[in-house]
Amino acid sequence: MATTTTTSSSKAALVKLAIALLIVGSLFAVPRYVSSPYALHIMILIFLSTIMGESWNILGGYTGQYSVGHAAYFGVGAYTTVMLMQFRQVPPWIGVWAGIAAVLVVALIIGSICFRLRGPYFVLASIAVAEIMRLSATNLNSITKGAEGILATEIPVFKIGEHVVTDFLTKVPFYYIGLSLALITIAVTWGVQHSKLGYYFQAIREDQDAAHSLGINIPLYKNIGLAISATLTALAGSFYAIYVGFVDPTTVLSLDLSVQIVLVCIIGGIGTIYGPVVGAIALVPLSEALRSNVIAEGIFKTGFVDPASATGTFLKENLAHAHVLIYGILVVIVILFMPEGVLGFIRKLGSRMKKGKA
Amino acid sequence: MAILEIQHVSKFFGGLAANSDVSFSMEEGMIMGLIGPNGAGKTTLFNCITGYYPPSKGDVFFKGRRMNGLQPDKVCKLGMVRTWQKVRPLGKLSVVDNVMVGALCRTNSLRVAREIAMEQIEVVHLSHKADFLAGGLPIGERKKLEVARVLATKPDLLLLDEVMGGLNPSESEEIIRLILDIKARGVSQMVIEHDMKTIMRISDRIVVLNSGEKLTEGSPDEVVQNQAVIDAYLGESHA
Repeated sequence: MATTTTTSSSKAALVKLAIALLIVGSLFAVPRYVSSPYALHIMILIFLSTIMGESWNILGGYTGQYSVGHAAYFGVGAYTTVMLMQFRQVPPWIGVWAGIAAVLVVALIIGSICFRLRGPYFVLASIAVAEIMRLSATNLNSITKGAEGILATEIPVFKIGEHVVTDFLTKVPFYYIGLSLALITIAVTWGVQHSKLGYYFQAIREDQDAAHSLGINIPLYKNIGLAISATLTALAGSFYAIYVGFVDPTTVLSLDLSVQIVLVCIIGGIGTIYGPVVGAIALVPLSEALRSNVIAEGIFKTGFVDPASATGTFLKENLAHAHVLIYGILVVIVILFMPEGVLGFIRKLGSRMKKGKA
Repeated sequence: MAILEIQHVSKFFGGLAANSDVSFSMEEGMIMGLIGPNGAGKTTLFNCITGYYPPSKGDVFFKGRRMNGLQPDKVCKLGMVRTWQKVRPLGKLSVVDNVMVGALCRTNSLRVAREIAMEQIEVVHLSHKADFLAGGLPIGERKKLEVARVLATKPDLLLLDEVMGGLNPSESEEIIRLILDIKARGVSQMVIEHDMKTIMRISDRIVVLNSGEKLTEGSPDEVVQNQAVIDAYLGESHA
C-alpha cells in the first residue's frame, strides 16, 4: 500500500496514469484495426479472466478468505441471466441485475455459514457449497434442463429508443463489454484498496484476532468482501453466458472453473490491483497455445524432429492432448519460483535493478 | 466512578477453573497492576474482560455498562482495548498502515486516520520506521507498534498484556516512560507484568492472582509485604 507522499512519487503517479490512459485508449481502438475474430476472442477471454481474477482477489487476496468455490457465483449469475433470456424473454442487460440479486442472496447465506470457519476449513466449505450448486443444477431438470444445459438461441437487439446500438452478431460488442467490465472491476479494486474497506480487509487477512480487538466487526466486513466479490463474479458469469450462448453445469459451475479463478490471481500476484490482469495475460494465451498445436509445430521448426517420422506423428497427435499436463507443470514452476506471482517477481527484479544502479 | 468493575468472574475450561470468583474494581485514571505466577489466569481474565471469552459466571462492567457477551470490536468501540502478550503485527502492512487500522475505529476518513496514526507513532518514537513493513520490525519495535495501534483507537481503558516481555532494560525503560506518559494523558491502564520492580514502580494498585483466584489486592507496598503473595511467588517453605 502506498504510504509515501513525496513529490517524486506524485510525479511517478502522473506517469503511471498517462501510461494507463494510453493502454486503455489503445485497447478501445483495437477492434478498428483488428478484424480477426480469433484475436478478438482471445482478448475477450483475457478480459473475462481479468474480471474473475479481480473479483476473487477482493475476497481472497485482500480479505484472505481463500474461496475455491467462486464457480457458484459465476454459475448462478450465468444461469439466471440465460434462463431469464431464454424462458422469459428478459434481455440480458436487465437479466444480469436479477443474476446479481440471486448471487447476493446465495453469497450472504453461504457467508453467514462458512465465515464461522477459518483457513483450510473455509476453503473446504467453499468447495462444498459450489459442488452443491453444481449438483443442484445437474439434477433440477425441470428448472435448469440438467446436464443437457441451456442454449441461448437469440440475443435480443440492444436499442436505445429506435436507434440500434448493437445486434450482438459479431465479437466486437462483446469485446467492448468485456473491456468495460474489466475496467470496472479494476476500478472497484482500486477503490477498495484506497478506502477504509481495504485497510479492514487486509487487517482481517493479516491477523483476524488482532483486527477484532481493534474494533473491526469481522463477520460484517467478511460479508461485505464476499458481497463485492460475488457481485463482480456474477457479472463475469452473465457476460460469459451471453458471449458463449450456452450454459451447463460442467462449464459454469465446475470445480475446474473455481480453481482457474484462483490460479489467475496466484500466477499474477495475490492482493495487488494488477496481479489478476497480469495473471490473465499470462494464462489465457498460454492455455490457448497449448490447446492448439503450437508446441509440436515449434519443435518441428527447430529441425530436431521430422514431422513425417514416427516421433513426429506421435507429437502431432498427442501434444495437444497433453495441454492440461503441461499447463499444470508450468503453474507449479511459477508457484515454486515466484511465490508472489509474476507481478511480485517483476517488482522484485525492478527493485533489485534500482539497488544495483544506486 | 469506577471505570471497570469485575464482579465474581469465573471462567471454566472443562473442569479447569482458569478464573474463579475474581472481583475488583478500578478507578478512572489509575494504573492497575495485575500480577501472579504463570498460569494464574491473568490473560484469561483479559480475554473475559475484552470479549474474547464470555465469562462462565459473573459480570464485567465498563463505565457502568454491563459488557458480558459483547464482541471485542464492540468493546473497542466503547473505549476499552487490549494488546497481546504475543505481539500481532499486521505483517504485510507498513507501520503507519497498522496504526491507521486502529485509528479507523473512530473515523472513516483515511486522511484523518493517517494524521492520528502519525501522531501515535511519534508518541512511541517509531516515526523513522513509519513506512517499514511491520513484519520486519525487531521485537522491541513491534511492542511499541502494538501500543501505538491501540492508542490510535482513542481508548479510555488500555489493557497491556506483558508489553515488556522479551525486551532489554533500556527498551523496558522506554515503555515504562510511555505508560506513565499515557497515564498523564488520563487514560486508565491495566498492566500485566512479570517484573516485580517495574510493576511496583508504575502501579497505583495491584491485584494478585494465583491459580485463578484473587489472592489479594492493595497498594504496591501492601502487596509486597503480604505473606500470601510471598508464599505464592517463593513457595511456602520460604521464611
